Amino acid sequence: MSPLLFLDIFIGGLMMGGLYALIAVGLSLQYGVARVLNVSHGEFIMLGAFATYSLYLLFGINPLLSLVITGPFIFFFGFLIHRTFFKRLRRLSPSLDAFEGSSLLASFGLLFIIQNVALLTWGPDVKGYSYLSKTVNFFGAVYAANRLIALFFAILIGLIFYFFLMRTRTGKAIRAAAQDVTTAQLMGVNIHWVLGLCFGLGALMAGFAGSLTSMMFEITPLIGLPYTIIAIIAVVLGGLGNILGSLIGGLILGLIGNIVMYIHPGLSLIAYYIIFLLLLLIKPTGILGK
Amino acid sequence: MILSILILGLPFTASSQTKSAKTEKIRIGTAISLSGPYSAGAGMTQIPNYNMWVEEVNAKGGLLIKKLNKRVPIELIIYDDKSDIGTAVKLVEKLILEDKVDLLLPPWGTAMHFAIAPVVTKYGYPVMGPTVSSEKLREIAHKVPYFFGILNMPREQGAALVELLDELGVKKVALIYVADAYGIEWTGKVAPELGVKKIDVEILKSYPGDVKDLSTLLKTIKAAEVDALLCMSYPGDTFLITKQAKELGLNPKLLYMGVGVAFPVYKQMFGGPDVVEGIMGAGAWNPKLPYPGAKEYFDRHVKRWNKEPDRWASAFAYASLQILEQAIEKVGSIDRKKIRDCIATETFPTVIGPVRFEGGFNVQSPGEIGQWQKGEFEVVAAKEKRTAKPIFPKPSWP
Amino acid sequence: MNRVTRANTKKILYSVLLSFLFMLMVIMPLYVSPYTIILLNSIFMYIVLTVSWALFSGPTHYLSLASAAFFGIGIYSSAILGDQLPLLLVIGLGGFISFLLALLVGLSSLRLRGMYFTIFTFGLSELIRHSVQWWEVNKTGTVGRWVIGVDHTTVYYIMLAILLITLVAAYILKHSKYGLALLSIGESEEAADHIGINVNAMKIITFAISTFFMGATGAIMATRWTYIDPSIAFNPLFSFMPVLMAIFGGIGHIFGQILGASVLTLLADVLLTKFPYYYMLLYGMILVIVVLFLPKGLTGLKEEVKKWWGGRAVK
Repeated sequence: MSPLLFLDIFIGGLMMGGLYALIAVGLSLQYGVARVLNVSHGEFIMLGAFATYSLYLLFGINPLLSLVITGPFIFFFGFLIHRTFFKRLRRLSPSLDAFEGSSLLASFGLLFIIQNVALLTWGPDVKGYSYLSKTVNFFGAVYAANRLIALFFAILIGLIFYFFLMRTRTGKAIRAAAQDVTTAQLMGVNIHWVLGLCFGLGALMAGFAGSLTSMMFEITPLIGLPYTIIAIIAVVLGGLGNILGSLIGGLILGLIGNIVMYIHPGLSLIAYYIIFLLLLLIKPTGILGK
Repeated sequence: MILSILILGLPFTASSQTKSAKTEKIRIGTAISLSGPYSAGAGMTQIPNYNMWVEEVNAKGGLLIKKLNKRVPIELIIYDDKSDIGTAVKLVEKLILEDKVDLLLPPWGTAMHFAIAPVVTKYGYPVMGPTVSSEKLREIAHKVPYFFGILNMPREQGAALVELLDELGVKKVALIYVADAYGIEWTGKVAPELGVKKIDVEILKSYPGDVKDLSTLLKTIKAAEVDALLCMSYPGDTFLITKQAKELGLNPKLLYMGVGVAFPVYKQMFGGPDVVEGIMGAGAWNPKLPYPGAKEYFDRHVKRWNKEPDRWASAFAYASLQILEQAIEKVGSIDRKKIRDCIATETFPTVIGPVRFEGGFNVQSPGEIGQWQKGEFEVVAAKEKRTAKPIFPKPSWP
Repeated sequence: MNRVTRANTKKILYSVLLSFLFMLMVIMPLYVSPYTIILLNSIFMYIVLTVSWALFSGPTHYLSLASAAFFGIGIYSSAILGDQLPLLLVIGLGGFISFLLALLVGLSSLRLRGMYFTIFTFGLSELIRHSVQWWEVNKTGTVGRWVIGVDHTTVYYIMLAILLITLVAAYILKHSKYGLALLSIGESEEAADHIGINVNAMKIITFAISTFFMGATGAIMATRWTYIDPSIAFNPLFSFMPVLMAIFGGIGHIFGQILGASVLTLLADVLLTKFPYYYMLLYGMILVIVVLFLPKGLTGLKEEVKKWWGGRAVK
């Protein structure tokens, strides 16, 4: 295999991986901290995609700029959902396991609701637009500008978030809550606010990912679920509850997907699942888990 | 315990439906995908046509029932099959057994059509399928005499495509297809034909339906310098391939893709009609065709729905409704058996031309391939049906 | 009347009622509309899926999301063998092959607990789906398959039989020492192990038995769909719905499971036909409301109403 081809596959894999990493980190915040395995995570991606599309079409707003506009709304929406549903659910649940079970169910209900609302608002027709689809020459290989930008933004958002997590007090509170909710509470962390924040941030990441993907792929009310599944695999890969782990998990999945795609296109998803299952059997705590 | 008795009672209450007298309204029912993966196709190709046709007919006073010497308005009942076959079958049976509809309209997609074909035959409801295209239908056609396929079939489409390639002097092709019944069938029809015409298939690869990135494959194809790239694709991949081929500067002399090229959104979504200039796709119909009512149908659709019909199955869907209306008029009543026999034997003028069924298949519309030229999807195959000469080679991406 | 005789009388009353109900079910096809039979077939199918799922997952709290895999195996048995073997044999085979697969799955996933087990089963189900799809696409070239049709009434009686067997099995298991063993595994697996329960054997065998019914149901229900492919047969929805239905109805009691399955199936049918454009929204809202306000499911409704009513009375 020529080094150029290898680089091609590698960078291509990284581009998808960057998106997967962003989505996985979002889910990890929701599951790792707030303990909600949010199967409607992908629907927030879908909403982000549609919002960006609508802004672009109706007002000609630059999709990258619209991140700033749609971001707060999606964050607030996620935050609100946690405060109204999941907070109450947590209060009512006799145990953490029971909460995980019933929040899983509730997030299903959420999935149905959001998808139907999207269907009613935007209709079932396939939508799409073209933005920055010029190509860029990168070390002799050719890549689409929008994919490179998506990777760049994913990394940027990841770095900002990392900084936020490590260097701010709120970030510290989140890390504490991720480790042990009760102890964190004892330490004075306003736990419900933090959980809501995490859920909102998770939704925000999904929304961003959606805006980025809308530049490259088709937009329909159904695009959410496949991303959710990849996010779940990435989160498990990195270790349930480990935020950095899910980021790495997402990148790895992107890379593996592209490599397998080169060998035999039909096997990518199967490869994902085999890795996923083997990991669960051998080291369920994931790559970075303890 | 009380609850369980109540539950038992529910099926009984659910089964009581008001029966409308045949002379008051003609009830036409359809279970079709309003949600789920098939909803995009259904919402573009069939649902607007169904609704528009019903409105047009009712504006005239309804369907002409000669035996009653009057027109009877139509009541359209639409159920959502959720893009799920089990639900679709159940709902069709509900429409037949409970709602006791007079006529049925088909759902969207090959799989759905396959599933309901035996059901409509069992209960004797004639149905013409505008979004089913599969050679498998030929195997079972004799078992489902009440089911007709009106859309062009892969065998003829494949032949037309290869004819065109031969005519244009294409020698080397790359053939990629979506790993689904559609992709497999089409490839199965096209590949041997290419061999017959001594056209070399340099690259033959499949890809999964949810693929997100085909750039590596497309780069390989670009390096192979083939004359033509043929993609047996579904809308998602059609759009992806178009985008990525443009990005990578993959510019074969002929670029053909499957489902999706004929969509009205296709000519806009990449930045304008000039971007898709020269791209060919499955099926072809445009308002310039010399069939009576074609242009008027197009204009009416645009006026009513603020969007164009697609350039392939939409017209076939509308044509099937025209046939239904004409058959009812010829028979003089809603006698489903007679209507079925009428459809099976007579010729009907429609927006896709004079349609006649042989053995359950439309023989008026054999292979049809279209090509975007200056914002219109011209018919470039079969030769006799051409509305414009094919542009070859395809102009470079703008 | 002392407590024992009262309990016994209750049991006798219930048995009489149930037998009456059963006889009603048997003669139903003669009196009701054909569509009601079709609807009942769907309801029976979901009851079997839900009750057999809850057979294992209920007491042990090991939430399996692999029901679709076993159901799908049944469907494919019908699709592949349906035209060569007699119907009842195919149904039995569908169940049996599911059983074998479940033994394998159980053996491999012994070490997994909680959410890990759940997502393992989900991943497995999806792996099977994509693998069958890949195989059909690349090896046999038959992505879609036809299934020999069977008339509704036959399907009805077979489903009724499967339903009866499943319910009897569930009831017997629950009230046997094995049922208690499962419950103790659910409470504390280590403790159960210490008392001498063969935890591994119990888990694997119960899991496998539960999937037998799923496979058998798949084999007979496939005849209703005439045309199947991997995404239809192994649709993840068949994994999620039994879970939803059990929790919705009340996972602790067999009656709750039956109730959940029946109500949700009926609800889906009604919503689908009365509100074609909104049913997903309504369905989702009902789900959320039930999860939020009825943590014990519908069977908890009586309790909740009593609590609420009692609260008011006190005021």
